[in-house]
Amino acid sequence: MRYRRPGLDLLSHALLLLSIAMFLFPVWMALTAATHTRAELYTGIAPLWFGGEGIDNFIAVLRDPVGRLGVSVSQLLFNSLVMALGIAVGKIVIAILAAYAVVFFRFRGRMLCFWAIFVTLMLPVEVRIMPTYQVVSDLGLLNSYAGLILPLIASATATFLFRQFYLTVPPELLEAARVDGAGPWKFLCDILLPLSKTNVAALFVIMFLYGWNQYLWPLMITTDTAYTTAVVSLKQMATGGDNLVPWQTVMATALLALLPPVAVIVTMQRYFVKGLVDSEK
Amino acid sequence: MATLTLDALNKRYPNGNAALLGIDLSVEDGEMIVIVGPSGCGKSTLLRCLAGLETISEGELKIDGERVNEREPAERDIAMVFQNYALYPHMSVAENMAYALKNRGVPKPAREAKVRETARVLGLEALLDRRPRQLSGGQRQRVAMGRAIVREPKVFLFDEPLSNLDAALRVQMRLEIRRLQKRLGTTAIYVTHDQVEAMTLADRLVVMNAGRVEQIGTPMTLYQRPATRFVAGFIGSPAMNFLPLEQGAAGWRLPGGACLELEGFEGRPSSLGVRPEHLRESDAETALFDVRVELIEPLGADTLAYCRLDGTATPLVVRLDGARQLDEGERLRLDAGIDRLHLFDAEGRRLERRSLDHGRAPLLPLSASL
Repeated sequence: MRYRRPGLDLLSHALLLLSIAMFLFPVWMALTAATHTRAELYTGIAPLWFGGEGIDNFIAVLRDPVGRLGVSVSQLLFNSLVMALGIAVGKIVIAILAAYAVVFFRFRGRMLCFWAIFVTLMLPVEVRIMPTYQVVSDLGLLNSYAGLILPLIASATATFLFRQFYLTVPPELLEAARVDGAGPWKFLCDILLPLSKTNVAALFVIMFLYGWNQYLWPLMITTDTAYTTAVVSLKQMATGGDNLVPWQTVMATALLALLPPVAVIVTMQRYFVKGLVDSEK
Repeated sequence: MATLTLDALNKRYPNGNAALLGIDLSVEDGEMIVIVGPSGCGKSTLLRCLAGLETISEGELKIDGERVNEREPAERDIAMVFQNYALYPHMSVAENMAYALKNRGVPKPAREAKVRETARVLGLEALLDRRPRQLSGGQRQRVAMGRAIVREPKVFLFDEPLSNLDAALRVQMRLEIRRLQKRLGTTAIYVTHDQVEAMTLADRLVVMNAGRVEQIGTPMTLYQRPATRFVAGFIGSPAMNFLPLEQGAAGWRLPGGACLELEGFEGRPSSLGVRPEHLRESDAETALFDVRVELIEPLGADTLAYCRLDGTATPLVVRLDGARQLDEGERLRLDAGIDRLHLFDAEGRRLERRSLDHGRAPLLPLSASL
């Protein structure tokens, strides 16, 4: 804001506070609901203040198997974490290698490879879900971590991002490294990777959230609840069937499922901003 | 320390472009060779072929008598200093200098000792922990030099290393490079387009044009006896004046009417070259050139006068003493000694006087008439 006027300041702060309130209200509702008993929640009035249960509901869902699922939320969170980390790390490693090959090596069909990767941007998992399911099922990967991670592990977006970054690296740097006796692996590990730290941090945040928020794919291939993810289970818990939905449990699980992505953003954000501020290039 | 031999080196790109055409060069141990030429003449390509960054299409490259055509840059035992320094931005100065040693498996204590020693020679001790972006242009240049020196390579390759520096720093670094190279006694190939750098640094100078070597020789040889019109025009600033010659009844006619009697030259001259600094004012009736001053550039010590031969459009540049007061439009009579005149044939080759090969040149009959 360039203008310094008291009235304008007041207005912008009011707007900011209003937006914060709008975004935080559902979280607040979830937090207060999670501290009540189920009976209290079915009195018809939504409680907007803490109930008597305290953190008991949280402890309960983390420790004991939840309702019809038969597994605890700890297990669900662990599954989500494995999937999200697997996808994020895998995507970054594969993208780095693919972009490295496309930018720094001259081989027949190089541009064809690049465009083939690029075209897969048009084929997200939702579009290719039937054939993908067939392949994963034929490989016997239903109900496994590998089945959750592998179909989502290659990313055209990340490859493209790394490619754009590599293209900005001055060619003399590669030549200097060659004269200094660094082979392709050493150049990648000693020169390129340290230079792309900030890109890796940014991509990790984006890809972790992408992996964590997956719904359709895990829902398709996990029939065994031991491999269900937190996000998928929330939907299953909230559909009560014949029973009343245990909203206090659903809310506690939802809040717990929020924590890892928030933690990732908060920690990685620092590197992210640091990278932006003191650029290595 | 090493000798370097280039035998009929050719470089052709896959698209058919030929960048180097039959380069022959033999570099002595400890010699500093400077390669000059206009942009696009192939001088950088040649250096990159020597470094192993470009493949050699034909011919042979030997370092210390050993063929190295197929070797990777690192295996050739050369070090290169790049125009934009190409320092690793995420490494400190010390790490930058130690990287090549590290890749060769030199143990850490030996590595550190060498880096410290090199830093001391170059005056970089205080900067060892800094990152390249925290250094000034001159300091970066010095680090790039350090990175090359620390490995004690057989050959240094310099690719226009001073062109990113400001004028004052360039002069200073030029002297420093020369001093270092002499002290270390390492064979060096230096590519530049700056002819002052070329003249001052070189033991021998290689002038390149369109992928070919025009002439190889000491800077003074190239200045005094350029083998081709191209070399004559390229070495020296301002460039040599060239005047067309036409055969007339009374000898060879210059534009403007003056006639020269040229004898004892092999071949058929087509142009006459004379350097601006070798023209001097003359009262003699026999002065070669009658000119009209068009533009004056006072440089302090000297004054450059851009003239045209009287009554013609042929330009002539002359360097006169700075104390001489000149007016635009003024007429001058200029002359130059016979040994300051260069003759070239229609193909641009230098025409030598026959007797020059044997000791002193005799005075030649020369007369000028208007």
